[in-house]
Amino acid sequence: MAEHALAVVNLGKLFGGLAAVDGVSLNVATGERRVLIGPNGAGKTTLFHCVTGTLKPSSGQVSLFGRDVTRLAEHRRTALGMGRTFQITNVFPDLTLGENLALAIVGTDRRKWVVHRPAETFEEVRRQALEGLARVGLEGRAQLPAKLVSYGERRQLELALALNTGPKVLFLDEPCAGLSPAERQRISQMIADLPRSMTLLMIEHDMDVALGLADRVTVLHRGRVILEGTPQEVRANPQVRDVYFGHA
Amino acid sequence: MTSAILQAINGVSLAALLFLLASGFTLSFGLMRVVNMAHGAYYLIGGYVGLSIAEHTGSFALALAGGGAAVALGGFFIDRFLIRRTGENHLAQVLLTVGVAFVIGDVALQIWGGDNLMVPAPQQLKGAVVLPGGIYYPKYRFILIFLGVFVGIALWLLYKKTQIGAVVRAGVDDREQVNATGINVDRLFVMVSALASFLAGLAGVAGGAFLTLYPGAEWEILVYALVVVIVGGLGSLEGAMIGALIVGLLDAYGRWLLPEFSYFVLFGPIALLMIFRPRGLFGREH
Amino acid sequence: MDRARLMLLVVALAGAAALPWIGGPFWTGLATQMMIFGLLALSVDLLLGHAGLFSLTHASFFAVSAYTVAILQVRYGWPTLAAAPAGILLGTALAALFGISVRTRGVYFILITIALGYVVWGIAHRWSSFTGGDNGVTNVPFPAVGPLAVTSHTQYYYVVLAAVILCGLGYRVLIRSPFGLGLRGVKASETRMQSLGYRTGLHIYVAFVLSGALASFAGVLYVYYNKFVNPVAASFPVSVEAALMAIVGGTGTIVGPFLGAGVVLGLRNWVSSFVEMHHAIMGAVFIATVLWAPQGLVGIAARVRARLKGRDG
Repeated sequence: MAEHALAVVNLGKLFGGLAAVDGVSLNVATGERRVLIGPNGAGKTTLFHCVTGTLKPSSGQVSLFGRDVTRLAEHRRTALGMGRTFQITNVFPDLTLGENLALAIVGTDRRKWVVHRPAETFEEVRRQALEGLARVGLEGRAQLPAKLVSYGERRQLELALALNTGPKVLFLDEPCAGLSPAERQRISQMIADLPRSMTLLMIEHDMDVALGLADRVTVLHRGRVILEGTPQEVRANPQVRDVYFGHA
Repeated sequence: MTSAILQAINGVSLAALLFLLASGFTLSFGLMRVVNMAHGAYYLIGGYVGLSIAEHTGSFALALAGGGAAVALGGFFIDRFLIRRTGENHLAQVLLTVGVAFVIGDVALQIWGGDNLMVPAPQQLKGAVVLPGGIYYPKYRFILIFLGVFVGIALWLLYKKTQIGAVVRAGVDDREQVNATGINVDRLFVMVSALASFLAGLAGVAGGAFLTLYPGAEWEILVYALVVVIVGGLGSLEGAMIGALIVGLLDAYGRWLLPEFSYFVLFGPIALLMIFRPRGLFGREH
Repeated sequence: MDRARLMLLVVALAGAAALPWIGGPFWTGLATQMMIFGLLALSVDLLLGHAGLFSLTHASFFAVSAYTVAILQVRYGWPTLAAAPAGILLGTALAALFGISVRTRGVYFILITIALGYVVWGIAHRWSSFTGGDNGVTNVPFPAVGPLAVTSHTQYYYVVLAAVILCGLGYRVLIRSPFGLGLRGVKASETRMQSLGYRTGLHIYVAFVLSGALASFAGVLYVYYNKFVNPVAASFPVSVEAALMAIVGGTGTIVGPFLGAGVVLGLRNWVSSFVEMHHAIMGAVFIATVLWAPQGLVGIAARVRARLKGRDG
């Protein structure tokens, strides 16, 4: 078996009696860019939460580079190379952008436990934070509190946080949610420019963005995978048109 | 063996009292997300008012009703003009209601003084009953158990069998649902809050007839009620019942077997719960 | 601005150093108490202002450490150099035990810490053969290290002043460290912190223990000042007043808790000189703080400053 970056086997998540995710299996190859699409309520975000460890799945298995991580806490998965963004912006509003990044940078190593030295005296972290901000087009913003920058910039910060934990597999939950067409363009370009060695899993509503970035596409509907294929195959599939494009 | 049985009855009668207090606390949290730390002070002031009524009229029943009603009325104003203004900020609620409890406690101290006082129980409730095996037990404590069971059943019926109860239960699960039912939420909140205050005042009179009333009693009883709620799970009526029994029995046996560490006995269940069920036995995510 | 701050600091330090000559024993005593309880409030605020957790059990660590020092010195004749560290150690060990409460959040955390605090009070109160019951342990001497012995309250005032300044400086480093930054991260968003690789439960647990250690240190300073300790030190009002001090002064700051302690203690002292009902007055302060000054004095000062600035520009 070729080395899969991510293997999800028969994953299910019940809320009350309701199956939000119902027996989903997925294999994503190392370096692949996979996009998840599906109408609202299809279970995309819940699937993400279960895979990254934010929620506990009711059943099934998740493996990262062949290692079973189903029972691992989220912070352990991050240490093993999972990184994620949130659909609803989840940054630290009272901290500056530089401090936001610093948290991401030291989060996966032992420096997060240092108590006897101010964070700003870590030159290496500072430099990395500035680079990380520049990488998502936030240069010159390091001293501003996150609550004072625009929504679009907070989305860029959201991406920067995930990128600075050193992820091998990156989960992007609608990175362009709520953005203007111009901002969308910027963010999708940033994602497209990510190194090809990084495995990407992305939830996206915008079909053009999705199909432009994806190597392969998985279509979810009512908690199940109804189709998996290349962007061309998905675009051509009548069933997908029905459940997905039909709504648009 | 006899002592063990006696302690069991002691525990159950304390549980009955704790249930009266904890059920109101847990229901106001469940429906309104209100944490009212003045609940213990409600208990104390209810007991004192009942005491004065009993001394003037000689009627224990009037004392129960009067103590409960006085607290329900006072609780209404405190709820409307103070607690309501904190929204759902629990930190603010806790500080504010602790402040209210301090004020009530000090006012009570000025009026009723610092001595241990006892609400006079009526003649027909005094004395002992003889249990099989020749065990003598105070009659009053049995009556208290009946009162607790009666209130428990009444609340349970109200909770499970009436439309009001259905709305309250929906509110415990999902606040949005209450607004969607079209019921006058404001009036419902006032009713539940008044009921909680009434039960606290009632508990004060009932408890004042055997635990005595004194400055500081409000915090001691509150902590017991809090442990009941923690063990049972915030917002759960069943939890309050089970929690009250657990705490009542543990306390009775603790006082008997380890008198110097009886408070420490309460620590056990809390610690175990925190390790295994941080939300309490019947708790939900909030 | 920074120069103005420095000036303020120099003036404050000079004032603090000169206080025993200017204010006499009354004000020196009040200032000592303000610093001790300010330190306790600061320990509460490490959790409240930085990690977003409202602990109501800090009197436990404060009291256990005070009792330990008192019992070891008075009953077993231990020297200060052994008794004081033992007090801090035991208080911190209790914090390590009570730290399991960080498995809960929000209301549960508040309620559980109240209950835990009562366990400690109950033991101090009931286990009279060891703790001295309601009378507690009396005749605690001033601290002495070898030939250096504190002999007066004025001298002790300087000891406390030095200790508080050191603690303040250490605290400043702590809250600016990566660990302290992490706490603020947890307060803002625990889910995000987990996805960044933080084991947030452990992070908060460590903060809880550190905060307990600081409260224990305040307990040591307290028992040498007070000369005795009784169950009141472990009682719920002490915990809740420490939180109030932090809030009145302004959470998330270093001077705030000390300012708050000054306001609360000063008010209580002043009020109790003419009315009996100081609990009711405290209650009124709680209510007023929640309704009108939830950001505390530091918050009010910041608002005033912002308004003045707005007028200038």
